[in-house]
Amino acid sequence: MASACEIVVCSESEAHANTCAQAAVKEVHRIEAKYSRYIAESVVGRINASAGISPVACDDETCKLLEFADSLYRTSGGLFDITAGVLNQAWDFKAQKIPSDSEIAEALKLVGWHAVERSGSTIKLPKVGIQLDFGGFGKEYAADRAAQVLQELGVSHGYVNLAGDMAFVGPKPDGSPWTIGIQHPRQTGAVIATMPMVAGGLASSGDYERYFEAGGVRYCHILRPDTGRPVSYWQSISVIAPSTAAAGAYSTTAMLMESEALEFLESSGLNYLAIDRQGQPYHSNASLVSEVKLNHANH
Amino acid sequence: MAVAAAVTKPERTLTDNPARSLSVAAAALALVSGHCVAQTQPGEGMVAVKYLDYLDSQPGADRVRVKARSVMAIVPVSQDWSFAATNTVDAISGASPAYHTAALSKLTDLRSAQDLSVTRFFTNGTVAAGVSFSREADYLSRASSLQMTHLSEDRNTTWNAGVSHTSDVVDPVNRAVKGERKRVNDFLVGWTRVLTRNDLVQVNLGKSYGQGYFSDPYKVFDNRPTTRNSTTLLGRWNHHLEETQSTVRWGYRWFGDNWGVRAHTATLEWVQPLPGAWTVSPSVRLYSQKKADFYIDADTTGSPFPPNPPDDALVFSQDQRLSSFGAVTLGFKVSRQLGSGWTADVKLERYAQRSRWYAGGDGSPGLAPFNARSVQVGLSKSF
Repeated sequence: MASACEIVVCSESEAHANTCAQAAVKEVHRIEAKYSRYIAESVVGRINASAGISPVACDDETCKLLEFADSLYRTSGGLFDITAGVLNQAWDFKAQKIPSDSEIAEALKLVGWHAVERSGSTIKLPKVGIQLDFGGFGKEYAADRAAQVLQELGVSHGYVNLAGDMAFVGPKPDGSPWTIGIQHPRQTGAVIATMPMVAGGLASSGDYERYFEAGGVRYCHILRPDTGRPVSYWQSISVIAPSTAAAGAYSTTAMLMESEALEFLESSGLNYLAIDRQGQPYHSNASLVSEVKLNHANH
Repeated sequence: MAVAAAVTKPERTLTDNPARSLSVAAAALALVSGHCVAQTQPGEGMVAVKYLDYLDSQPGADRVRVKARSVMAIVPVSQDWSFAATNTVDAISGASPAYHTAALSKLTDLRSAQDLSVTRFFTNGTVAAGVSFSREADYLSRASSLQMTHLSEDRNTTWNAGVSHTSDVVDPVNRAVKGERKRVNDFLVGWTRVLTRNDLVQVNLGKSYGQGYFSDPYKVFDNRPTTRNSTTLLGRWNHHLEETQSTVRWGYRWFGDNWGVRAHTATLEWVQPLPGAWTVSPSVRLYSQKKADFYIDADTTGSPFPPNPPDDALVFSQDQRLSSFGAVTLGFKVSRQLGSGWTADVKLERYAQRSRWYAGGDGSPGLAPFNARSVQVGLSKSF
């Protein structure tokens, strides 16, 4: 994981807290090693290497994750597609180049979860070049797993924060909640809103993680698998759900749904905060917040 | 041969409540991870009592409610996104890894370069430790402190205790002395009690022990003792009048030290809310001080030269702040709540000091009356 991560554990003794934190870190590393598409020996690496060749047998954990990806695909109407990672090859964010229509069309040929062949506990990618990418929910799943490790070790105060996807084990030792700030999508170092958290998961998705701007238009890394182009309706969406995996699923799907996101988030009944492209916040009840006060980090 | 389960690309519709099926899927995943808890928030807020401000957080209890404008935050748990400006964020959720390190380092750098304090909250009290540092051209001050508060079970009584150590170095620009040091140790114990639903009382006892350089290097004849030990006794009573919604604040402070200074301070403030979110607070403060034993009376006969200290005097000072005098301060403050917890206020004070107002007899002779006017403007936010 190339981004800043932290695990916060409160315990009676520093030694115990360290032991618990180390166990949680180990779990995160285990998942990263197992599902990173950058590691050839990982489960995802092997599945991708066998694309167009042969099916790959999956263990219990992988099967459940693929099931999860499948239901995400269906309920998002095909927008959340873990084969859409190849589109990132067409969009070069470092070179800040807008790909041509034919380049996008070429990449789109390899996108489509519906074409992936699954039976029992095996999976086969039907064509060479089709790639699986667990990046859309891997971090969130790792956060949930790390939090579970902490709970099993008896931790009841703390949280796991993997680059902004957070799983809460319990409140601060005195019972008060953790104050979590939501990164301001346009101002570095600023927080746009805060939410007290004691349990569950909180995940954020935004157009500011990786992007470039050309001709006054922002091109971000969240690419739609139907058009092959970046979404542009929302600057950022944060969701609170019983698990971080669910929170991440909702926030990413909502980003992909663009103009239909509010209806989707409202019907979920979950607490969300969505910032539209003008910077206006919307939250549970889809009401435009009448007073927008920006948080300022006092530095 | 395995039959592949082909899934056709679905239509994009929202008619069958996809959100619900999504949560089912997440729940299924949760069965793997095991980490799935209901989203609940604790029912009660956290109470911190700071000095005279007291905020009731116990549901169903009948208690005085005084607005708290306090650095020790009282944060009721809510389920709502808060858009108010806040200084304390424990962690940040956001999509950008690059922003985390930068944002976090900026947000944790809230304390000024000069003051650092950490407070640890327990169920029945707090412990706070702090260090501070300030440097001026001629004065370097370093201090560290430790304070504790303890709340009774019924939250009606608070004990507080504090200790601090200050270490100063004086390097006046006129080079009268060089690198003189002063060390002071302060101790404070206090007791605050909510007597009735309309009454709050507080008693504080402070002891200070200082040694080192206390003289004023910018004065011609000024050589003070190398120790200064003092005792302070402070009593306060806040009374709320329900008929007028106003609060009356009485205070009395006694000060005595080993220099012979004895001082009494009596304060009275009336806080009166008015319609339209206005509040007016007239106040009066009466002060009477007996001079330090080594104070030299002003004598204008040799003007412009100040009088020499007596020949056998080891310590002496002509600083009029160590003379016998009385003073009256009249104050008037107007404040208005601006909405969303913001309050703006303006305070005007008129200070008048006269030797003849010394309550214990004749004040120090030869001193001119001293008057001062001050205006204070403030903006604060409570949350």
